[in-house]
Amino acid sequence: MAELTADTLHAAAAHDDHGHISEEEHNNNMKLGVWLYLASEIVIFSIMIVGYIIFRINEKDIVAQAHDELGVGLVTANTFVLLASSFFMVMGLRAMQQGNRQGMLRWIGLTALGGIVFLGGQYIEYSELAHLGIALGFDDASAWSTFGMRFYAPTFFHGAHVFVGVLWALEVMRRGAKGRYDHNPIGIEMFGLYWHFVDVVWIMLFTLIYLV
Amino acid sequence: MATIAVPLGAQAEQHEAEAVRRPALSEYLRWSVDHKIIGVQYGVAAFLFFIVGGAMAMGIRLELWTPDLDLMVSGSAYNSLFTMHGTIMIFLFIIPMWAAFGNFVVPLQLGAKDMAFPWLNAFAFWLIPPAAIVILLGYFVTPAEAGWTSYPPLSTLFSGDGQTLWALGAHLLGISSIMGSINFIVTILNMRPPQMTIWRMPLLCWAVLATSIIAVMATPFLAGALTLLLLDRVAGTTFFDASGGGDVLLWQNIFWFYSHPAVYIMVLPGMGVLSEVLSIHCRKPVFGYRMVGLSSMGIAFVGFTVWAHHMFTSLQPELRIPFMITTMIIAVPTGIKMFSWLGTIWGGKMRFTSALLFALGFMSMFVIGGITGVMLAALPFDIHVHDTYFVVSHFHFVLFGGSVFAIYAALYHWFPKVTGRMMNERWGRIHFAFTYFGFLFTFFPMHIVGMLGMPRRVAVYDPNFTDWNQLISFSAFVLGFSTFIVVYNVIHSYFRGPIAGANPWRALTLEWATTSPPPVTNFTDDPIPFEDPYGYGTEASAAYLDAVDAAFNGGRPAADGS
Repeated sequence: MAELTADTLHAAAAHDDHGHISEEEHNNNMKLGVWLYLASEIVIFSIMIVGYIIFRINEKDIVAQAHDELGVGLVTANTFVLLASSFFMVMGLRAMQQGNRQGMLRWIGLTALGGIVFLGGQYIEYSELAHLGIALGFDDASAWSTFGMRFYAPTFFHGAHVFVGVLWALEVMRRGAKGRYDHNPIGIEMFGLYWHFVDVVWIMLFTLIYLV
Repeated sequence: MATIAVPLGAQAEQHEAEAVRRPALSEYLRWSVDHKIIGVQYGVAAFLFFIVGGAMAMGIRLELWTPDLDLMVSGSAYNSLFTMHGTIMIFLFIIPMWAAFGNFVVPLQLGAKDMAFPWLNAFAFWLIPPAAIVILLGYFVTPAEAGWTSYPPLSTLFSGDGQTLWALGAHLLGISSIMGSINFIVTILNMRPPQMTIWRMPLLCWAVLATSIIAVMATPFLAGALTLLLLDRVAGTTFFDASGGGDVLLWQNIFWFYSHPAVYIMVLPGMGVLSEVLSIHCRKPVFGYRMVGLSSMGIAFVGFTVWAHHMFTSLQPELRIPFMITTMIIAVPTGIKMFSWLGTIWGGKMRFTSALLFALGFMSMFVIGGITGVMLAALPFDIHVHDTYFVVSHFHFVLFGGSVFAIYAALYHWFPKVTGRMMNERWGRIHFAFTYFGFLFTFFPMHIVGMLGMPRRVAVYDPNFTDWNQLISFSAFVLGFSTFIVVYNVIHSYFRGPIAGANPWRALTLEWATTSPPPVTNFTDDPIPFEDPYGYGTEASAAYLDAVDAAFNGGRPAADGS
């Protein structure tokens, strides 16, 4: 090392494209970034989920009554739609990886449609619950009101994520139509990670709130 | 053994001026994706908030000059004053200030061209001004007055709209912090050149990595808690209201599950700075490099298991002892760092630069804050001094004696790299003397009044404590005055300081192996890190440093390896 000179200090301009990183590095960065973002999302959801679990343990009667009133028909259909949209998502990425841009647009379009149908189902369910008098705010007269906030907070927070996902899907379609993903479908893959995450969270919420 | 003593910043000033272009000041005022610009933006913004928060601290000390209510119109006004002081210092000064040094230094130390997500980096910074405005707007409605911890029911039933704005602003700052931290993690893990292996990483990078992991995993807890708090305040839910089926302790648990790790968000980068500064200015390898890197990770991990020691008086009694034990365990990785610093300076060839003085100041003050931390972890003692000035003293020894001293050390150390000019050392020493003694006589007496029973967060106190409080207030004004010295030094040195050259401290880490300030792409060629980032005192390191000097003599790469 003692005969180090300025020449060896700097690698000869082997990487003449400095200032830009390779596509593979770029993709890895993007994926790790999304994973870290999802890790932080898990924490926020877990606060609301744990809050619900504690309520579920302490207030068995209110939850049992809520289950009787709610039914699981609509929400099961809704869950199926969301799961199907995750499948469409996978097919969309696969289509793009095979170079089929039109196929990708169709599948991602179906994904967005699944999200919209899910939100519609959630809207119908919320209106039914509102008729039953289950509100977000606390009301001395209603035994429901301690259930309401713990139900709406996680499900609405999840619904907001589905909404953002639908917007993201439309943006992926807009960019995809311009050929942005023809050579590097990382943008679709990132959206896919998010969409599957939203799906998995829903399976947790569905199990905990409606089934157990 | 080559000679190591080098005149500070004396290389080739005649060529520097025209060769190195500093970014125009206007570039700092607009959107930029260059991590070096963003680093300075963070730093200047954070320092402005430091002055605002410091002015509030002066207001607090002025009020406490007498035992009666005189400066403030009411107890509520005093409440909102210390609430804002704490909020600004933590969320708008210390955390963004570490983002400043992390942004500027980490990509350079790694040998990377920029951060992994430059756009996200800029976005994270530009969330801070609107968040600050939202928080400060609270002053024009009914200000937040529940303290920076915002415990319900103070923050739900007894606080005005300013509290809602406070929660919104804190939310935005949390988002900014998460985005910034994701960026740091991806940059440090993925953007290193092949030669920069994980065990060659400078310790600041290790510290920023640990800090960022904490921020990504802990800040969402704050976000979740703030979301529920906002719902309680705005949407009529009762998550934190026991009379509506909620739970007051839920807030305390979630909040401290974020905010205790956040203490390490605020001090771990400072510990990284200390390892850099002590090693470079004492010309010695870091003692136990791997253990220091791993102890950062250890602190990050154990930091998640201690939160309920903030709740000894509200927690279920059977949980107190376990949290007392975990809290004492976290002193072990912290102690590893302390002994590493002692081992690093032991027998070193110390150059008493301002940076080193502040680093030594950190060591002496942080060890006091650490010891009082262990004292507070001890349950019987904690119950006695709970919510007294002893606690105020403890966390100021950690956050001012720790974080702020490290911030000053980092400022004197990296200012030449950021601006290309040296800070004035004489004013630096004067600044250090005022800060050190002002700090010591402000916060050390608080231990005593705390043990005598003076409660925190009160504007009116027992007249028996008047003498102590006047000593504390006088010293606080000296401490406040010291800030003007460093502001003068920064402004004066920016325009008139001696030209620094590429490597004024003869440091081995990569940020010094480029011009000061670095070019837009950081390095003109791919830099090769020295085999050991702290391998001072060997012939090989001297040869490497000579090569750096030769390469950047006059700010220009040597034409043909001369």
